[in-house]
Amino acid sequence: MSGALQDWKSQKKPFAAVVTAPVFWLALFFVAPMTIVWLYSFGQNAGPADIVISGTLDNYKRATEWLYLSIFLKSLAVAALTTLICLIIGFPVAMAITFAAPKWRPWLLLGIMLPFWTNLLIRTYALMALMGTNGYMNKGLGGLWEGASWLRTLVGMQPLEAWTPVQLLYNNFAVVLGLVYVHLPFMVLPLYSALDRLDKSLIEASLDLGAGHFKTFMQIVVPLAAPGIVAGVMITLIPALGAYLTPDLMGGTDSQMIANVIERQFKRANDWPFGAALSFLLIYAMFILIAFQSMRSNKVKEA
Amino acid sequence: MDFKTFLHAGSNRRAMLKGMGVAAVGFSLTGALAGCGEKEAKKLANGEEAKLNFYNWDTYIGETTLEDYKDSAGVDVNMTLFASNDELFAKLRAGNPGYDVIVPSNDFVERMAGADMLMPLDQAQIPNFKNVAKDYQDVPYDPARKYSMPYTWLVLGIGYRKSKVKAVPDSWKVLFDSDEYKGRIAVLSEAGDMFRLYGKYMGKSVNDLTDADLKTIEAMMIKQKPNIKAFHEDNGQDLLLKGEVDVVLEYNGDIAQAMVEDPDIGFIIPKEGSQLNSDNLCIPKGAPHPKNAHAFINYLLDAEAGKKITETILYPTPNDAAKALMPDAYKNNQVIFPPADILAKCEYAKFNPELQPKYEEAFTRVRAA
Amino acid sequence: MFNRTPIAPLEYTRKLWMRSWVGLTMLFLYAPLIVLMIFSFNDSKRNVVWKGFTLKYYEKALNNDSLVEALVNSLTIAALATIVSLVIGALAAVVLWRFRFPLKGLVEGTMSLPIIVPEICLGVAFLIFFAKVDWPTDLPWPLNLSAITIAHITFCFPFVAMVVRARLASFNKEEEEAAKDLGATEWQAFRDVLLPHIKPALVAGALLAFTLSLDDFVITFFTSGPDTITFPVKVYSMVRFSVTPEVNAASTILILLTVILTFIALKLQGVKGIAETH
Repeated sequence: MSGALQDWKSQKKPFAAVVTAPVFWLALFFVAPMTIVWLYSFGQNAGPADIVISGTLDNYKRATEWLYLSIFLKSLAVAALTTLICLIIGFPVAMAITFAAPKWRPWLLLGIMLPFWTNLLIRTYALMALMGTNGYMNKGLGGLWEGASWLRTLVGMQPLEAWTPVQLLYNNFAVVLGLVYVHLPFMVLPLYSALDRLDKSLIEASLDLGAGHFKTFMQIVVPLAAPGIVAGVMITLIPALGAYLTPDLMGGTDSQMIANVIERQFKRANDWPFGAALSFLLIYAMFILIAFQSMRSNKVKEA
Repeated sequence: MDFKTFLHAGSNRRAMLKGMGVAAVGFSLTGALAGCGEKEAKKLANGEEAKLNFYNWDTYIGETTLEDYKDSAGVDVNMTLFASNDELFAKLRAGNPGYDVIVPSNDFVERMAGADMLMPLDQAQIPNFKNVAKDYQDVPYDPARKYSMPYTWLVLGIGYRKSKVKAVPDSWKVLFDSDEYKGRIAVLSEAGDMFRLYGKYMGKSVNDLTDADLKTIEAMMIKQKPNIKAFHEDNGQDLLLKGEVDVVLEYNGDIAQAMVEDPDIGFIIPKEGSQLNSDNLCIPKGAPHPKNAHAFINYLLDAEAGKKITETILYPTPNDAAKALMPDAYKNNQVIFPPADILAKCEYAKFNPELQPKYEEAFTRVRAA
Repeated sequence: MFNRTPIAPLEYTRKLWMRSWVGLTMLFLYAPLIVLMIFSFNDSKRNVVWKGFTLKYYEKALNNDSLVEALVNSLTIAALATIVSLVIGALAAVVLWRFRFPLKGLVEGTMSLPIIVPEICLGVAFLIFFAKVDWPTDLPWPLNLSAITIAHITFCFPFVAMVVRARLASFNKEEEEAAKDLGATEWQAFRDVLLPHIKPALVAGALLAFTLSLDDFVITFFTSGPDTITFPVKVYSMVRFSVTPEVNAASTILILLTVILTFIALKLQGVKGIAETH
């Protein structure tokens, strides 16, 4: 729908104007620093603070052991589940913002963003205070339980057993919930910016033609929002995959994610080469995926 | 957009913020932004500017210590905080970004000294070293105190909720090898400490673990994992206070602070013995104000200053002169100063570059199991 | 909001299920914050059990010079990083959307990398990088924030690029062509046709970048020095012994400040200006 790509040669000046800054920045402040770490991934510790780059592949060999692959797969599953839940919660919210009266729109948008200007750690602790054994969620549930018990005695039935607090924290459920809490705006924002351009007359037409709301939603809204969904999934999934604080604080004894393992290599284990290898395995995989995706979509566009 | 616009925007924002703070909450922010403004560079008699960058743990200094020091020596101490030894080490590994005094634990003193990251101390500039208890004047992790001065010491043990335990949990068995408190146990997430304490439970020295021991311990940890609620990040006293768990592996100082809030909490060092730690004052290589750093370390070892610090942080102090000034409630507190016979069974962990990655990998396997 | 006109099919926002959905989401987002704010008035060193009302932690937080300084640093860095990320991110999106050029796949892949790289890895990379190039650390404020700001821009701008690019997919190139046919220069066409189209994405991107920058701990930790402490770095080190009400009080102030500043910004700019659509 957006015309063919222009060849850079035919538009040298505008091309140079837009390409210089991003590429310059990337090369100087991203590729250069990362190259050092990349070299470390082929090195080994030669003392508490020295690394010798010896060209060894041992770090990669270790990083591809099943132990680390399985942790990676588990992290991927947790991140994917988080993304899915964010999408399900976030889509109606993004629609609501889109369809809200213009004067409400910025407030709703800010309403979504505001909690995220509070420090992540503080927010996580606050969420944990809600979810603890003696937290408010458990107190609320306990209250309901007592109420139900009391109602049963009213109708002459045996009261329920005493309330035992639910374990909401320190398990994988807590990790997913915490991650959804942290990543929700990353989903809502791209969805909003994609839905915003939605031609409302299309929906009206669809509804007029007798299609139900759900059908209209699936056949008109979702396809139109597709680029936003892709962007939202990308910027939710990938940071969720790299989350380390939430699993550390809210997780149980088996909730470690790949980022926790990487973090420990750089800090506690003081094994930078191995940490670098783990990080770069993650990077290689993603890089190939994205470059491939880009080549494919460019071919489609050119055809 | 040029950089000037940015600067301008920045200072406007600051002014705006300042106004807001006053209007919104009604407290004065005067002087709060002093750090942003220009500072007059006055020189001290020793030729250094009157400034010092102190990199410390949080809540690890007296309420007024830095102000008192400014009043007496005229040096502005800029204290910034780190949260773990690993962070401190990682941060200084590539070079010192400007810190003058740091507070690493014993094994990191060893590690940093080994990596040539510490400046040898000139004891002539630290006469208050005489206040330090004999046991801390010469320690295995820093023979003859070449690089470090002792600041506090601490010991790992079991914190527990008195009303929820059947008997005082005086053995590591409760945490490491029993389902008695299933789902009500939290232990440390630090791999090295965990393996070493399991070693203690097995009757070994914390510094003599072999590969075979690691295997045994790993199997024991995996077996115990279902009984454990969380690996905590050194915030076990909080879990205990909130009632999330009833028995927890923690440092005595942390539990002593929690006991002030809740009398139902107790602490014991298990009969098998435990691991000692000590935090130390050091000067990293490349410190911009080494003379001020020596003078500041000397001040922290002063009897009166040490007393004020100890009153706030409630950790055991290796400063005998300061301890003498403290009330009996502190001096005779068995949590802060455990009986000598049990302390005799506790050891310092040596820094071991070979074993640390092995601990980590084994612990990763335990978590993944 | 409470007019009695019948609900038109498209007024989703006036439908009950939609409202409750948004309401529940907001409850989920705000409940922890409300707890946080309540506990900032708690008269206990730890916010575990309620022990009584006090304002002393507000006094403490506001008198804590280094905390306020850290806050000012954070806001400055976030503002700078947002502006630069917006420019670079938007340019990057336009390049990838509009041109065909050699090594495009490589550039595109590299551009998404800062999102993928584990934070700690990027943090360490910057730590070594700034140490190796001997980046000066003793500059006057705010130039001493440059290392942190640079690092923040690096991980923020790809997020902007991604959001803008999603938006560009819907741009009708013919509009731009038409403008040029009518004699508009390349720059004018960009300013008057393309820029208005991507404005919502720029707003979204700016919000994202600001949020990411304001909340970053790991990368900032590795690029900060003794004089350049940001709010998250300060907070992370302060909660080793659990979150004190002082930290809660500081956060509450920060939330209030944000609300007030945004409110003023919106009033000044005209509410419509922010979420304006075509």
